[in-house]
Amino acid sequence: MTRDLHLYVGLFISPFVLVFSVSVFFFVHAWTPSMAPETTRVVASLDLPTDLATLSGRPLVDALKPLLGRLNIRGEIGFVQKRMQEQTLLIPVSIPGRAISVQLHLGRREANIVTRETGLADALMTLHKSPGGHGPDIRMNWLAMKAWRWFADATVYLTLFITISGVYLWAMLRAERRVGLVLLCAGTVTFFGIAYAVSH
Amino acid sequence: MPSATEPLAEAKPATRPWAGLERWNRKLHFYAGLFLLFFLWLFALSGLFLNHPAWTFHEHWKNRKETSYERPITTPRPDAIEDLEQARDIMSQLGIEGDILWTTPRTDSDLLDFQVRRPGHFFFIKANWRQGSASVRHAEVNAWGVMKFLHVFSGNVADDARNHRDWALTYLWAYSMDAVAAGLIFMVLSSVYMWLQLPPKRRLGAIVLGAGCLSCGLFCLGLRWLF
Repeated sequence: MTRDLHLYVGLFISPFVLVFSVSVFFFVHAWTPSMAPETTRVVASLDLPTDLATLSGRPLVDALKPLLGRLNIRGEIGFVQKRMQEQTLLIPVSIPGRAISVQLHLGRREANIVTRETGLADALMTLHKSPGGHGPDIRMNWLAMKAWRWFADATVYLTLFITISGVYLWAMLRAERRVGLVLLCAGTVTFFGIAYAVSH
Repeated sequence: MPSATEPLAEAKPATRPWAGLERWNRKLHFYAGLFLLFFLWLFALSGLFLNHPAWTFHEHWKNRKETSYERPITTPRPDAIEDLEQARDIMSQLGIEGDILWTTPRTDSDLLDFQVRRPGHFFFIKANWRQGSASVRHAEVNAWGVMKFLHVFSGNVADDARNHRDWALTYLWAYSMDAVAAGLIFMVLSSVYMWLQLPPKRRLGAIVLGAGCLSCGLFCLGLRWLF
């Protein structure tokens, strides 16, 4: 039973583990997506909520969602920059692999929308760091990214399960105990050694 | 071919040419898993904490301990021309080690503001050679903070060429993260290989793996097609 669960759970989370593992190389080596060609469109005569300039945080994101929906823009809304002198809001919207930047001119009731396809590698990086620790009040404002958080959490819980079940299954292999124990100890010493060295 | 974890005693004698590969693939799968166990636990748990900042038990920044002090410093060595060399000179005078983070552009050659970070410790340094002193604010965070910082500690900042790894131990940790990622990729591939050697488990395994690929593929590729 444990063996089968270890196998099937491991198979299910395999693609998720690959997403998190492959994207590590991009993060560690500061890879940035190549600047893909942009497409720009301008939409005028927008029907804007009157209180956009006064809102901030989650209420602002919630107020922007229907407006962006009417502009046919879907995705996770990021941190909105307000440029009050220019009466402009800069709204970043992302879908894994696509970055959309909306410059909303409140006075002119006009939106300048720039879309860039950033590709698979950027999609992996976006997913790896979502939802992340910053801006918890505005994060996960798009259903798809809410669902991603459930999968990301499930990957952690299932990883913990397969590591524990893996140790249990290894412990049952009498012939492999000695080598396994040496490697477990070596890994433990390596981990704590490096963690201690960098943090003290 | 036995499953990944069947006791060796149950295994049939290997006669096929690929038997050696199958045996070693299986062994290396759990050897890698055992070696990387604590690394996996660290990255899994800290990833979970980073995704749930509202969970208060792992709060580290609000619970930090801060100390501030001033120390006299001498002008940097004549060969320390670049910002990085001057910052290292100051760090050596102050006895501080870690990875340098540039946060503000330099506007005065007599002043240098920078941060030095290593897991658990954040130093905010303002050096003033005109006054011959450096003020240091040192924030020390708890073990939760160390865990979370280890998760993201690569020394590089995306889209910022000025901020790159500049401490030997940052390199060591960054390459450890590479090794863990490579180990995980190997474990995934080796597990798929072992599963394929188990004909009775192929059908259910294919369904489960297919469900995983489909749901993961939806996020990696599908969302762009759908929206």
